[in-house]
Order: sequence, then C-alpha cells, then structure tokens
Amino acid sequence: MSVVAMLFFIVVLLFALLAAAALLTWVERRLLAWWQDRYGPNRAGPFGILQAFADVIKILLKEDWIPPLADKPVFVIAPAIVAVTMLLGFAIVPLAPGLVIADLNVALLFFFAMTGLSVYSVTFAGWASNNNYSLLGSLRTAAQMISYEVFMLLSLVGVVILAGSFRLTDIVDAQRGMWFFVPQFVGLVVFFLAAIAETHRLPFDLPEAEHELVAGYHTEYSGMKFGLFFLGEYLGMMLSSAMIVTLFFGGWLGPPFLPPIVWFLLKTAFFVCLYLLLRAALPRPRYDQLMGYAWKFLLPVALLNIVVTGAIVVATRSPAEVGS
Amino acid sequence: MAVPTDAPAPALPKTRGVQRANELAERLEKLLGPDLFPEGARVQPTADGIPTLWLASERVRDVLLCLKHELAEPYEMLYDLTAIDERVRHVRDGQPSSELTLVYHLLSFSRNEDLRLKVPLEDGASVASVVDIWPNANWYEREVWDMFGIRFDGHPNLRRILMPPTWKGHPLRKEHPARATEMGRFELPDDRYEAETEALRFVPEEWGMKRSTESSDFLFLNLGPNHPSVHGVFRILLQLDGEEIVDAVPDIGWHHRAQEKMAERQSWHTYLPYTDRVDYLGGVMNNLPYVLAVEQLAGIEVPDRAKVIRVMLCELFRIASHLVFYGTFTQDVGALSPVFYMFTDRERVFEIIEAICGFRMHPAWFRIGGVAADLPEGWDRMVRDFLKWMPPRLREYERMALENRILRARTVGVGTMTTEEAIDWGVTGPNLRATGFDWDFRKTRPYSGYEQFEFDVPLAENGDCFDRCAVRAEEIRQSLRIIEQCVENMPPGDYKSRHPLATPPIKDRTLHDIETLIHHFINVSWGPVVPPGESHFNIEGTKGAYGYYAISDGGTIPYRLRIRTPSFPHLQVLPLISRGLMIADLIAILGSIDFVMADVDR
Amino acid sequence: MLANYLPILIFVIVAAGLGVVLLGIGFVLGRGQKDQEKLSAYECGFEAFEDTRNRFDVRYYLVAILFILFDLELAFFVPWAVSLDAVGLFGIGAMGVFLALLVVGFIYEWKKGALEWD
Repeated sequence: MSVVAMLFFIVVLLFALLAAAALLTWVERRLLAWWQDRYGPNRAGPFGILQAFADVIKILLKEDWIPPLADKPVFVIAPAIVAVTMLLGFAIVPLAPGLVIADLNVALLFFFAMTGLSVYSVTFAGWASNNNYSLLGSLRTAAQMISYEVFMLLSLVGVVILAGSFRLTDIVDAQRGMWFFVPQFVGLVVFFLAAIAETHRLPFDLPEAEHELVAGYHTEYSGMKFGLFFLGEYLGMMLSSAMIVTLFFGGWLGPPFLPPIVWFLLKTAFFVCLYLLLRAALPRPRYDQLMGYAWKFLLPVALLNIVVTGAIVVATRSPAEVGS
Repeated sequence: MAVPTDAPAPALPKTRGVQRANELAERLEKLLGPDLFPEGARVQPTADGIPTLWLASERVRDVLLCLKHELAEPYEMLYDLTAIDERVRHVRDGQPSSELTLVYHLLSFSRNEDLRLKVPLEDGASVASVVDIWPNANWYEREVWDMFGIRFDGHPNLRRILMPPTWKGHPLRKEHPARATEMGRFELPDDRYEAETEALRFVPEEWGMKRSTESSDFLFLNLGPNHPSVHGVFRILLQLDGEEIVDAVPDIGWHHRAQEKMAERQSWHTYLPYTDRVDYLGGVMNNLPYVLAVEQLAGIEVPDRAKVIRVMLCELFRIASHLVFYGTFTQDVGALSPVFYMFTDRERVFEIIEAICGFRMHPAWFRIGGVAADLPEGWDRMVRDFLKWMPPRLREYERMALENRILRARTVGVGTMTTEEAIDWGVTGPNLRATGFDWDFRKTRPYSGYEQFEFDVPLAENGDCFDRCAVRAEEIRQSLRIIEQCVENMPPGDYKSRHPLATPPIKDRTLHDIETLIHHFINVSWGPVVPPGESHFNIEGTKGAYGYYAISDGGTIPYRLRIRTPSFPHLQVLPLISRGLMIADLIAILGSIDFVMADVDR
Repeated sequence: MLANYLPILIFVIVAAGLGVVLLGIGFVLGRGQKDQEKLSAYECGFEAFEDTRNRFDVRYYLVAILFILFDLELAFFVPWAVSLDAVGLFGIGAMGVFLALLVVGFIYEWKKGALEWD
C-alpha cells in the first residue's frame, strides 16, 4: 500500500468510526427504548436517526469548562487519551483479507497496550477533577480495569496456543476449520466479561455508577471533553466486539454469498447489540463483588483453560497442523 | 330528613379510654410514688379513646422508663412526640394550666393500645431528654425544639432539624406568622446567600466525628440534596474510609412546607388537598387518616358504600406507590429496565383513579363524611381488567428482579434490622414486617371496614433490603385481592354521610328543607364547625403507619394538626443500618426504605 | 520490520490530531457564562469539605500487587503460548511447575483473606 493510499484508508476508517460511534448512541437509545416499552428518540429525521448528529452539534456548542480547582492540563488531556487509544486499537483489526492498517506480528499485544493506556484516561480524569465523586470513581476504575486486564489477556492465551501467532490475520486464518468459540468457549466467556469491565458498561459500570457516584470520574466534565469520554466508551464497545469476532468467531470468515467485510461487520454489530442488551437486562454488582468475582472465579477458570488447552494441543497436534 | 340517620358520637371509646387511663395511673402510682401528676387533672377524656394522662415534667423520664421496661405488656414504641401551643386555646376544660404541652404518643403492641402522655410546660421551660430510652426520640425532640422552642436537657445534639439553621423563631408557636405576607419581603443578596451556605457547612466535630485516623484521612462526602439516588431532596453526610461508610448523618428539612402550620390557616374541609401532598405517592391514602380523625371528632358515621370505595381507592394507591418503589429500588441497584414496566402498570392504576376521581396523583377525593362523588358508570369494568392484567406482570417482575442473582447478591443481608431495633426506632409498616413482626393496622385495628376483607399480611424474616422489597411485592398481590372483593361486593347506598357536618353535604335535599340548606350554606361558606376535642387516627399507609392528631377548639379550622408520618423515623435508622457497609449498599438501603421526602419533612 | 509500524505511526498522528481538533472545536464553539456556582466542584449542591487530594485509605493497593504478580506471570505465558509447538511436552511441564508455584501462592493469599474487601 502506498503511503497516500494508506493515509486515505486511515482517514476513511477514522471518520467511519466516528460516524459509527455517533450512530451507535442512537441505536442504543432506540434499542433500549424498544426493550423498555418506550419510543426513544423518534423525531429528528427518519426514525429519529438525525438525533445522533444533533447531539454531536449540541455537545460541540456546550460550554467548554474547566473547574477552577482542577489540574488543568491533565483534566484536558484525560478525555483525549481514551478516545485516541480506542481509535488506535482499530489499527490492527482486520476488517477483511488485506483490509487492515497494520498487520503486525504482535497485533494482540498492541491491542492490550491500547486498552492498558485507556486506563490512564479514567484515572487521570478522576484525579484531576478534584471532586470526591470523581475520585471515588477513578479509584474504582483503576482497580477494576487493571484486574480485568489480567483476565482479558489470560483468556486469550488459549487462542494464541491454537493459532500459534499473535498476528490477527493468522488467528482468523487458523479458524477456517472451526471457529475458536468452540474449543475456547471458556476463553470467550472470560474475554467477554473482561471486555465489559474494561469498557465499564453496565453491569460493570461501577466507575460511573450514576446511582452511587452521580457520574463517577466524568462528573465534572461537559461539552466536547465529556463527548470524548462518550466517544471512547462507544469505540471501546465496538473495538471489543470486533476483537471478539476476530478472535473467536472467525473474523471475516463466512459463507461466500456475502463479501467478507459484510460478515465481519454483521458479526460485530451482533456483539455490540449484545452489549446493549446486557445494559437493559442486568443490575449492577457491588464493587467488592465485582473484584471478588474476578479474582476468585475468573482467574482460576482462565488458568485452568490455559492448562487444559495447552495439554490437549501438545497431546493431539502434529507439527504439520500448525497454522500457516 | 334533617336529622342525621347515622349513629351519634360514639361515646363508648371515650369512656373506655378514661377507664384505661385511670387503671394505668393507679398502677404507675403504685410503682413510682404519688407525685407523678400535675395539680389539677390527671386523666383527660378524648374523642379517640386513647388513654391520655397528664404528667409532671420532672417525672416524665421515670414514667417512660417504667412504661417501656418495667410494666408487664410494656409500651414498646415511641410512636410520636410533639407539642401543642396552648396559649390561645379556649376550650381546655379539666386540663391543667399549660403554655406549651408536650405530647408523647406511645404504642404497645402487646396490648394493642396507644397511650398519650401530656406534659404541661411553661414557655421557656425545658424537659429531660429521653433519647437514651428511645433512640428515635432524637429527631422528634429536635423537631419539637425547632418548631416550639422547648429545650431537652441531655439531648446529644439539639439543633434545628426542619428549618434552616439561621431561622429565627419557632414556626409552630402561635405568634409565628403563618403566611409570607405577614413576614416581610424575602430577599437573598449575595452576602446572605453566602452566610446561609456557610451555615449549612458540615462540621464533623459537631457530630463527634474525627477527621482522620493515624494512617489515613476520612473522606467526608455530601450525598445530596442534589443526587440521583436520594429520592428527593435529602442530604446525607458520609464519613468514608475508602468506600466504607464509617458513619452517616442524615440531614433533612429540604422539602419542609409547614404542612402542620398550614392546617392552622385552613378550614377542616379545605385542608384536605394538602394531605395528598404529604406522601405524594399515596394520593387519597393520605386523606384517609385525616378524615377518619375528623369524623371521629365530629361523631360522623360513614356509610358502607363510602367505606368500601375508600378502601378500594386506598389499595389502588398502595399498588401505585409500591410499583414506584419496586421500580426505583431495582433501578437503585442498577437494573435500568424494570422501572419502565412498572411505571407503565402504574399508569393503568392512574387511569382507573382518574376515571373515578378526575385526578391522577393527588385527587383529594375523600371528604369529611364520605367521598366526593359516587363511582362513575363502568368503573367496575376498568378495575376488573386491571385485576386480570396485573398478576402475570407481577410474576414477570419477580423473575426479572427478585430472582435475579446479582440483585440478590446486592440486597440479601444488606441493611439488616432486627425487630427489636425496628421497634426501638419507631419503624412501622412493610419495613417492620420485613423483620418478621406481624403488625398491620388493617388487621390489628381494622378501620373503614377492613375487618370485612380477606387478605394476608406478608412477612419476611431478616429485615434486609431484599426482604423489604419482597414484602412489598407480595403486598401488591394482597391489595389486588382486597380490590377484587371491593368490586364483587360494592354495597349500595350513599357515598357520603348525611350527618350535618359532612362537607359538602349531599345536595339532593338542600332545596327541599331549610335545615339541610343551612348546613350546606355554612359548611360550604365557612367550613364545618367541628366540636372541640382531640382525636388521633392511625392507618396502615403505603410506607408505614400514618397518624393524624386533630385538635379542635370548636371552630372551623383545626387548632392544631399533628401529622405523624412513617418516613421520618425510617430515615433516622439510616446510620444504624449502613455503618460498615459500602456506598453502593447505602444506595440499596435508601431504595429499600421506600420514603418520599415530602413525607419526612411535611 | 519497522516498516510495519509506519501505518501505526501515521495512524497515531492522525488520531491524535483528531483528538486535538475535537477538543479545539469544543473550545472554540463552546460558549457560556461563568458564575460562582459553576466555579465550585459538584458535590450535590454543596461546597466540598476540603481538597480531595488527601491521605486516603483505599484497599486497592492489594489489587495493584495482585496485578503486578499476574501481569508478570503473563509475561511468561505469552511467549510460551505462541511457541508451544516448539517447546512441546517440556514446555508444558515447565509451565506446570511455574503455575503450581503461583497457584500455591494464590491459594495462600486467598486463605489469608487478602481477597476480601472489607
């Protein structure tokens, strides 16, 4: 790919992602409304779809405000971190064969680097705001996110063993015979739970738990800075859905009557909706329950999964079967 | 038909109350010596038949200690504590001289009997605090200090509770103005604004709290008055160690509207709409204790049809209120959807209520002597439809909420209250029954014909958040049963008594004879003239026991109206049941208590 | 090899630029008037008690220790997983020993109550 073509691809992808995130706010509100016997936004444009764009305009016009007691540079940078790192995460996601910005040989590690960095965003925001609710929210976040990051990575060790590579295109190719959600079902469950916690969506939205902490770490944020947190959250949702599809559901693979990229997008959309459904369906556990669940249940399960997967692979596989 | 068809004033309970009071007075004299009672009278007959004793202010503590701890079948609960400014009262026959009278209202579950103890005080006198006998006396004494300026010696922190700390005067005293027009213009310039804000600043030392331990500082957090989960304007000050609640100080009064003071400016009839706003989720349920107390005072017997209509509407409102509780409670533990389903169902209840009353949330539809109008045509069809609709929905909610494992993990064993604690703190209603204590005024002291209905009183065991929710969920079912019996057995007859004090009178005879015309004219233009006396009535409301204590000086307006609401003591328990828990638990507890601030502050 | 990362570099620049632009637009377009209430931290309508940055006993530091422990463990797991075919049975055995040690420590920690948050 020439640099110009790549630049074009990058810009298109970024804007597609921004548009998708904006649209997703509308999709979420419509779906929630549908499940909750309500209408949801239905006035602006067909089915209310323009609401998403109206909200973008509104958020841009909101007062750009920094609390006087805040640590100003950190306060401003924090929301940008989450949005940018989540966008960067998409750099390694293969949308279709050849359609990936950077087909890194350590793509999986890059993904973790990005989610790891996004923790800073929330922690900084809570600390910089100089607000008690924000502080409590950011402390919760720090603990929750670093805990679940461990399991997220642990849950994928099985996938790596099966594929023998960190390269996402290799991992997708290795699923031609069987999508990994079958042999790695435990890994999938752990990864999905960890992904919800990482994006702090309900039921694991403790950092912002509005019934307890008002708005948690972003209590003091308004305008576009708040918008960037929002953007980061929706991008995170899409990113982890895309990763679930890539790692466990064969990425772009699918019957040939649809092009690969459509398969990929359809599958991703499915998991995004699953995210939304969880929000509509479940109450929120308490902080200590969430952490206890992580360390006492997910950790042993994930470790067991690795041992069993490793043993089976070594016992059954001849070197010829190793993924290309 | 000028002569009322109903029975005259029930003389029986009045004499029984006097007799019981005399027995008790003798028993107390035997136990504690002779100087218990002030000079003059010691027993006062009242229209409600509640034994009423006058006590000398020096001996109040001894008597209360004895009543709670030494007596066989003791008086377990301090049900209410208030005062009366007697200085401009005319009709005080047989009562000892007093400027401010302190009124202790005790409740004995073992006797199923109330006891009213009155203490005559000079203006400016003080009386010994009873906080160590009943912990819930803390807020009641602060309220009496705030409203009347009666001091309590030995109170741990006697400060204003409902009025702002900068307030001048004590509002329920008769000399305090009742209307804004009597008070001079309200202004809030910047300096005063700052002074008011400063006065509200929380100083931990005033509450005996430390700011830090050796290893860390406590975090003091304002939760409310402007917070998504405090169900109104309610402030809790939290002393936090990490996320753990070391202590909590509830701060109320943000929703105070001086309901009791307003009663002293409204006629007996025109005060009715104010009662709807006390527990704003309870609608006409609030009218009931008020009209029952007034009817008791006036000796009005209510026709059966009116009674059954009242019961039906009250139970409809109980369902509406419990649905709000159910939805908001589940939302407080993080489930976003149930509240929408429950509010949809509540809408169905409101459709029925609107068809009958013409209003939805605050119909103010009961009247002294009955209800405002007869039931509209086709009312039973609507109710029957609802009765069919609701049970499967309730089953669905159980699957959605009560059987959800996350919700159970969040609520089981959280905010536990024992029966003893609950009684000590004046907890009533579903919150008391969640601890396993079987007490429901509809069963123990049937009013408005509840003795005619078949229904169960749901109980739970542990008194935790989950139980408080489960009890209410089951109460919705029982209310449906009661409503069904109302529909099947609605008696014919008048919807309002033909007693001359029923207001406004049924009009069909007004143009036929002069007496009903006069009654109509007087009741509508001045309001009914209620005979002097005192009358208290308890009902089992949506959130617990509501009691209206109406005092008439023989005029068209109440001399004093005391509103005893359940949420006031319920909120006071908050620190007790939330210490050592986490913030998230506190939110679950707040949701499970089921309070509205209008009901706390009045 | 490094050429692989050129797209990433470009992506970083573009994405960061986007972040700056978005913040910039908000800064330029966002209007409003400051007043006294807006200038105070949100605490349910009250002024905060004090600066929030004080000594604060969070039991989170345990989590941090656990995190470091298991993150290091992952550093062993990851290369092991990708080269399992090469290390084979020996690799399984070695990892088994490592894991066994780790699990013993973890169980000890659990039993000591380090995972209880109260």
